[in-house]
Amino acid sequence: MPDPEKPEPEKPEKEKSEKDKAEKLEKEKAPAAAEPQPPVAAKPAAAQPEEDSSQSFFGEPLVGFDPNEISGSLIVIEGMDGSGRSTQISLLQEWLESEGFSVQTSGLRRSNLVGRDIDQLLAKNAVTRLTLALMYSTDFFDQVEHRIVPALKSGAVVLADRYVFTLITRGVVRGINRDYLSGLYAMALRPHLTFWLNVRPETAFGREFRKAQAISYWEAGRDMSLSHDLYWSFIRYQTMIKREFEAMAKKHSFVELDGEASVPTVNKLLRQRIAEHLGIRGTKYTPSSALAHLWR
Amino acid sequence: METQEVQKQPPRTEPVKSSTLPQPGRPVPSRAYPGALIVVEGTDGSGKSTQLYLLKRWLEIGGYRLHFTEWNSSPLVKAATRRGKQRRLLTPTTFSLLHAADFADRCERQIMPLLQGDYLVLADRYVYTAFARDGARGCPQKWLRNLYRFAPVPDITFYFRAPLEVAVQRILSGRPKLKYYEAGMDLGLSYDRAESFRLFQARILEGYDNMVESDNFVVLDGTLPVNKLQKQMRDIVASKIDLKRFAPRAAEAE
Repeated sequence: MPDPEKPEPEKPEKEKSEKDKAEKLEKEKAPAAAEPQPPVAAKPAAAQPEEDSSQSFFGEPLVGFDPNEISGSLIVIEGMDGSGRSTQISLLQEWLESEGFSVQTSGLRRSNLVGRDIDQLLAKNAVTRLTLALMYSTDFFDQVEHRIVPALKSGAVVLADRYVFTLITRGVVRGINRDYLSGLYAMALRPHLTFWLNVRPETAFGREFRKAQAISYWEAGRDMSLSHDLYWSFIRYQTMIKREFEAMAKKHSFVELDGEASVPTVNKLLRQRIAEHLGIRGTKYTPSSALAHLWR
Repeated sequence: METQEVQKQPPRTEPVKSSTLPQPGRPVPSRAYPGALIVVEGTDGSGKSTQLYLLKRWLEIGGYRLHFTEWNSSPLVKAATRRGKQRRLLTPTTFSLLHAADFADRCERQIMPLLQGDYLVLADRYVYTAFARDGARGCPQKWLRNLYRFAPVPDITFYFRAPLEVAVQRILSGRPKLKYYEAGMDLGLSYDRAESFRLFQARILEGYDNMVESDNFVVLDGTLPVNKLQKQMRDIVASKIDLKRFAPRAAEAE
């Protein structure tokens, strides 16, 4: 398929030359020679240095949007299934609200536009990878435009349960061209803080299994035919994702946290960094009775 | 079909094979496959769909292996598009992405497999519609070009060009009410739907005109009588595409 797939020689020569020159230069400059194809080298900001002026975005600004209108903060929590993201977000929301901040959340498949459609596509498993990737990007930008940006304009703190990093990574491990995906998300807002809750796939497996007494088709990356064995399929898939994240962590200055530590420990570290960013003095917090069950 | 022998149109260089290879300066990359792709583009009311229908009939009657595909028609994405339009949830970005998802679905599940399987694929509107229309809505061309990078380059792209007033009149006279997005009301160009439509179409027309050279459009005059235009179209197809390749397989065997 002439495509955003692995083999990269499909960009039209004209466009290619300029962009590639820039990329090659970058690659040569940075003698991270260990990897033949440093996965980070192709990240949007790196590929298009000429566009760095609009720092609020990875690439070009969103259509009809003025970055100066933003007064809130975009805080992203990334991490694989079972890394504790949603637990931490619930707790952080409560803490921030108790500190007097208005909080908005976002996450994959939560858009009004196509959230449910994606659920259906996933359930039917009748969708090809590129179509799915584009449906996810539609879902993402719908939330950016109707949820994230309005909240940021009003000065709220947006806690994003996953962000473009997950979406790009999922595409990349499925063989969709990295530059293609970076270009696709070039209009995404750059987060103020990005946390990565790093856990071992083996730990994540146990946590996910306990949650639902099963591992889902997509969590195990079964569309990729990695193994008929569910456990190994999960481990292999999540390991691929993890490697991509390791490569991105530096490039996008992720704050990496040990997702295997206890909930209170991880939460404390998150609060410290966020407090610093928002200028909150104290970071004391004990969850209310409604959330006490998460505090273990 | 006889037309193959009657090549009155000046045949432009090599047909078929070469045009499926990646070509410098062409916006959408492609790799070699045996099939061929014919695309029609133009503003609403330019007559392109009528012409493609007649071309399809001609080829169907001749028994050629072909598949017809239409812009924005994938069942997977339909519900979302309808909801987005009804509730006016769509912004230039999501409008564009949803159409790209629709196209990706048709591309991955129909267009590419059929081109690989040696079919003639006819497309009513193609990526250029997105470049012109979403561009008119303000999406950056660079972003759009990247978005559709996976699309195979057509063997022939017919651009049916009709003057703005002609095309607009054709649509306005035939339709009781223009739809919100169709009229480009989301752009806030005018409160009057007909006027908004006119202004929107003018921008789209400009977008198409800008691609004529860079994307090798074969420009046809949309104001010509239907049968004359169809004759031109058939001649060009016959001269640029080795139609014998798509002849009925049974006949080949005998």
